[in-house]
Amino acid sequence: METRPPRNPSEIWTLPLNRRRFMHRGLVGLAALAAGTWPPGPARAEGTPDLAIARGRPAEATRAAVAALGGMKAFVRPGQKVVIKPNMSFAPDVERATNTDPEVVRELVALCREAGAGRVRVLDHPLRQPELCIEGVRQACTAFDEDLVHGLAAPDFFKPRVIPGGLQMRQTDVMQDVLEADVLISAPKAKSHGATGVSLSLKGMMGLIWDRGIMHYKYDLNESIVDLAGLLRPHLVVVDATRALTTNGPGGPGTVVRLDTIIAAADPVAADAQTVALVPWYGRRMAPRQVAHIRRAHERGLGRMDIENLRVRHL
Amino acid sequence: MGRSTVPKRMKPAIWCQILSFGLFFGLMLLSVHPVPPPVPPEAFLRLDPVAMLAAWLAGAMAWSALGPVFLLLVLTAVLGRFFCGWICPLGATIDAADRRVARDGGPAASWEAWRPVKYQILAIVAAAALFGLSLAFLVAPVAVAMRFYALVIHSLLKAGAARVLSLIRPLALDADWTWVVYADPGVPHFGLPWFSAGAVVLILAAGRLAPRFWCRYLCPAGALLALAGSRPLWRRQVSPACIDCGICQQACPTAAIGRDPRRTRFAECIACQRCVRLCPTAAVRFVPNPAAPPRTPQASRRQVLASAAAGAALAWVDALDPRWPGARRPLPAGGAGLIRPPGAVPESDFLGRCVGCGLCLKVCPTNTLQPAGLAGGWAGLMSPRIVPRLGPCEPACNACGQVCPTGAIRPLAPEEKTWAKIGTAFVLRHKCLAFEFDQSCLVCDEVCPYDAIRLERMENRQVAVPLVDERRCSGCGLCHFHCPVRPASAIVVEPVGALRLAQGSYRRAARDAGLRLHLQRGPHAPPPASAPQAPEDRPPPGFDP
Repeated sequence: METRPPRNPSEIWTLPLNRRRFMHRGLVGLAALAAGTWPPGPARAEGTPDLAIARGRPAEATRAAVAALGGMKAFVRPGQKVVIKPNMSFAPDVERATNTDPEVVRELVALCREAGAGRVRVLDHPLRQPELCIEGVRQACTAFDEDLVHGLAAPDFFKPRVIPGGLQMRQTDVMQDVLEADVLISAPKAKSHGATGVSLSLKGMMGLIWDRGIMHYKYDLNESIVDLAGLLRPHLVVVDATRALTTNGPGGPGTVVRLDTIIAAADPVAADAQTVALVPWYGRRMAPRQVAHIRRAHERGLGRMDIENLRVRHL
Repeated sequence: MGRSTVPKRMKPAIWCQILSFGLFFGLMLLSVHPVPPPVPPEAFLRLDPVAMLAAWLAGAMAWSALGPVFLLLVLTAVLGRFFCGWICPLGATIDAADRRVARDGGPAASWEAWRPVKYQILAIVAAAALFGLSLAFLVAPVAVAMRFYALVIHSLLKAGAARVLSLIRPLALDADWTWVVYADPGVPHFGLPWFSAGAVVLILAAGRLAPRFWCRYLCPAGALLALAGSRPLWRRQVSPACIDCGICQQACPTAAIGRDPRRTRFAECIACQRCVRLCPTAAVRFVPNPAAPPRTPQASRRQVLASAAAGAALAWVDALDPRWPGARRPLPAGGAGLIRPPGAVPESDFLGRCVGCGLCLKVCPTNTLQPAGLAGGWAGLMSPRIVPRLGPCEPACNACGQVCPTGAIRPLAPEEKTWAKIGTAFVLRHKCLAFEFDQSCLVCDEVCPYDAIRLERMENRQVAVPLVDERRCSGCGLCHFHCPVRPASAIVVEPVGALRLAQGSYRRAARDAGLRLHLQRGPHAPPPASAPQAPEDRPPPGFDP
């Protein structure tokens, strides 16, 4: 039985899953979460909330939300390599809310730098021409005087990795930078998605692999999203709901609602679930269990969607 | 061959050749979307007299585009065939190859009987072009050279660079050279590589038979320049210091110096001035000489007329093909699938103007442009077609039209280009994951930049299915490219409804046709309309009840 907490995002299950192990692991996982020992990293103080919801301008709200979770130093140790995964898969336009707000990404880079990160990269595998898609975020990050924003669109940058515990998808090619990173921060835009309901942190991991078409084509999309989430586990999730694309996502155009909200958590399932509950998708209130991949991730023990049982701090 | 015993002279011809080739190659390399080089890369192609004249005759190219060729012909009348010796990139390549390939001791057999052949080829090309068939892609020297360098050499260089990068990437990662780590030059792929490479390889291999074999016996541009420059003002002059040593005759790459070294066949002389450098008594100079040299017939009138007749016959027989407009029921070019680049003029002028230079293929940022092969008829072998599965046609890009030397693809401003519909996407319902397999996929809708695809919940279906609105679809192929169905896409673009305008505004024509091609990004996109809410009794798209 796996007792020590996993050390890096790509190592989670090493034993095949059966019901007893699942129950056991689930209990251990919950206990670890309650005890604050999971996810790993520098010890987080007692009393830290599981979810932080901050309102305000993009940069300020990001900083406040991360601070409520213990500050970036709770996630990044000095000298560590960090990869930030925003949404930058479409041509940038803040009003259309298809990409993560560049201000949010810039603030996250700044926070990582302040925590002493050794190397920070902002990466995505865009659907359209990379130079075009990353433009907004790249401009926002020029202040850091380093070439840290990249859209990777060549197979050379991806290396094969087995997905342990994968029910449908058992292996995939992942960005080498991510495989070598110490810390993965997911910074998705809050968007609806015509096939999966929403596109948030769990869905966003599809932007770190080479062949995502196969998840549509060969596998059940929702199940393979959860498989992938078992391999690519962010340490920190910061959901950009400053402007949310509530209809016709993920590409739009659709109804953009200004919520001026940032939702942060260490648990991607919880962050996604909270965002589902908070944003008026198609003008309606939806429950996290209505999103198949969030529900399955909860059932498979990758995180908590029962946000009513979690400590939430509003700022 | 002895070294010259006279004081060192400048070698202007060689320097000029090197600079000219460097410019030709450099401009080709630098022609990358979206930043054009300061000098148009198609400048050299605009100087190719055969390419431009064929495009003018066969494809109704504008008069004004002949300006550079006209200037070249005027200069040739004064300076002789200096283009061949100083400027032509194919000539420079041939000279460089001849150093390796040329046989010691000169040509084994005399090929002199072949001298008139280039005039015959010129006559064939001219006559065929007059009747609507352009053979420029086969024999126009700058087009042939451009195809070789842009599609073969450049691709090989990129492939080599990619290999080197993948080798040094691990080292660069440790050294944190981010520029190297993330560099992704991309390796372009082009169809018919053997055709593009083979033509030049054969031309260079012919150097084994005689130096500058192509230029002497085959090149129709050389023939045209020979006609214009057979009695140049500035020409080779031999002083009485000549000692009949025979060095210049042996050294002349085009064998333009006859038995008597004082006489020169100016129609063949390419002004390389090798004879000047090598003359041991400095007897040879190139100077202006107002006295007109004697006329020398280059080819027999009978031969030329026969060739012209052959060229015309070629064009007439080709016109029997039912694909030409004018036939009662013209076959669509290439059957159902031949998609031409945005801004391409109507097909018969398009084929008349296209000289197969390959520059548009090279500059295309998504590598979607490929040689059409036989799809549009053999005369369009190297003409461009869009292959969506290899790459989409980026809506914001207008590079191909910017570099086309003959206007076969019109240069369109970005706002115009988004209205230049090249086809329409069709969902193959029997293959679509949503229609056929009840799988929720919506990649086509996700990537469509014109919002031409809507997802609809239909009766008896679990998942929403994609429907294309053909008035909003521009045929860009992003859906075709990204569709996850393998190996062949379940949504395909066909040239249905493509706009091909010889002149005028695409935007106006498209609007008149009832099209609504609004790109979703950019100053011309309308603000997003608020989407209809999902019906109350059903959960929103993608959500479970």
